Amino acid sequence: MVNEHFPIYMLAILLVNAAIFSAFTKLSFRFLKRVVVVNLLLIWIMGVSLFVKVVRDGAFRYNFGDWHQAVGVQFYVDELAVFMMMFILTLSNLIIIYSLKDIEHEIESKQFARYYTLVFLMIFSMLGLTFSNDMFNMFIFMEILSIASCSIISIKNSKGSTLASFRYLILNTLGSLSVLMGIALIYMVTGQLNMNEIHGEISVIWKYYPTNIMMALAFIIIGFGTKAAIFPLHIWLPDAHSVAPTPSSALLSGIVVKVYIFAIIKLLFRVIGVEIVGELGIPTAIAYLAAIGTILGSIFAIAQKDIKRMLAYSSVAQIGYIFLGVGLATKAGLEFAMFHIVSHGLIKTALFLSAGAIIYQTEKRDIRKLDGIAYEMPATMMVFAIAALGMIGIPGTSGFMSKIFLGSVVLQEGKAFYLFIIILSSFLNAFYYMPIITSAFMKSDSEAKVVNDKIPRRMVVPMVIVIFLSIAIGFYPQLITEIIEIAVDSLL
Amino acid sequence: METLRGIVDNINYIGALTLFVIGLYTVLTHANLLKKVIGINIMETSIFLFFVSTGYVRLADSPIIDPNKANQIFVNPLPSALILTGIVVALSVTVYSLSLIIKIYEEYGTIDLNEIMEMRGNLSDG
Repeated sequence: MVNEHFPIYMLAILLVNAAIFSAFTKLSFRFLKRVVVVNLLLIWIMGVSLFVKVVRDGAFRYNFGDWHQAVGVQFYVDELAVFMMMFILTLSNLIIIYSLKDIEHEIESKQFARYYTLVFLMIFSMLGLTFSNDMFNMFIFMEILSIASCSIISIKNSKGSTLASFRYLILNTLGSLSVLMGIALIYMVTGQLNMNEIHGEISVIWKYYPTNIMMALAFIIIGFGTKAAIFPLHIWLPDAHSVAPTPSSALLSGIVVKVYIFAIIKLLFRVIGVEIVGELGIPTAIAYLAAIGTILGSIFAIAQKDIKRMLAYSSVAQIGYIFLGVGLATKAGLEFAMFHIVSHGLIKTALFLSAGAIIYQTEKRDIRKLDGIAYEMPATMMVFAIAALGMIGIPGTSGFMSKIFLGSVVLQEGKAFYLFIIILSSFLNAFYYMPIITSAFMKSDSEAKVVNDKIPRRMVVPMVIVIFLSIAIGFYPQLITEIIEIAVDSLL
Repeated sequence: METLRGIVDNINYIGALTLFVIGLYTVLTHANLLKKVIGINIMETSIFLFFVSTGYVRLADSPIIDPNKANQIFVNPLPSALILTGIVVALSVTVYSLSLIIKIYEEYGTIDLNEIMEMRGNLSDG
């Protein structure tokens, strides 16, 4: 039943749906919702069966039109790609189910169909980016993703969002162009675009053209780094992620950034190879930047008043952790990076969704005005509190497992300095998350508040599922570490 | 003489990189949003030039087999084919950014980034 065409079917369904939504904008929203949910469920089931197939039978390559891989476009569906695919699909499905209710409150009603067009295009391009084994094809998916994710911000039609979206677009395009320049430089010396072919060529020729490859890598890392918000290139992130509609913020912060990080991992270790990258000293540079990012991201977050802006700055810090894992350039480091991609994806999604629920009910975005809010909306604040504790790294959540994982990895590598950074950053995390939790649960206004939860169940259930997944991984990390181990093996 | 020969032989690449830097400079230093988009376009063009140049072979024919010629050399057609796709991508980015500029102009009445920042500063103070 499950065959090797499944990745293409999934992409085709997403693309056809996106086209249909944009053509029939007059459809009633109730009908649209059903179509969205049915299609997402279908895609998810296909994803699960593809995942099971790949884990059981091993990776496979899909050549479009049966062209040879040196000249054609190729999908490489391995454990790493299907793992990332499951992460993207599961999380985006939960966010979209949440968005079906929340979006009525965020954007104009005539934009609903367009919004889901963009969401479907986004998932389409993220899956494409994950599967693609061809550099230029990857660039195309990346461009689709960047335009879709910019328009998903500007769709809100508020003053701030247009400007934030424009800034995001300019920086994103600079990033894409810089990646394209890197691809051109690599193509110049290797004459190949397929990742495996490049890897074969580059291990032979890199001694003859070290400058060329160095420049190519610099362009590519700066390009992807801009998109993934690695520390000095993060300036667009707080604006873009905080003014977007809440479900978009969750999608952008939880998933889109991770897909770019995944692309960097693939490029550094699959295309160029760990020996060459290590020889050029790139991982060390990434690790230093990441360490600075973890600290400064948290410090910026402390200064924020707007809850979504604070969460966005906290993303900068957490992306630093992931890059720290990448920068160690060892098997354990990469395993941590993949683990934290999932862990941070879940926790940050839970935080954004619960913050969105608070805004949905009370229109309050200022963290100083959240006193006693837990009395009003206990379920939402429970989710927020557990997720915030996860960010700090309290045992029982996946955040704790990530931190102890990273701690043991850096100690194995004998780089105890990074452990100090991790602990300091955890303290800083506590510094800006704890006041919100304490004031929401402990302080209350003079009149005793009654439970007045107007959040629809369709918004609460996805939040609870996300936080439940995070707790499940916190107690049983082997749920995902086993597959991560197999996946990373294929990379190094 | 050697240097001069080197420059003349690689004039495409040098030109492409010069354009890239000019474009980047335009994007980063100009406050006018339209000029930023123009800068992006210059950068895109420079990369297209660079990419197409990698496929160039001196004294080669276009990749069409001519039965009358023996030992034909062809230029590499792949970069040109890729750049066709690249141009489409560049077009869509330009169109989208121009439409955003129209929106920004409707909202703020200006497309100068410094003035917009000033307005936003006043808004948050008052």
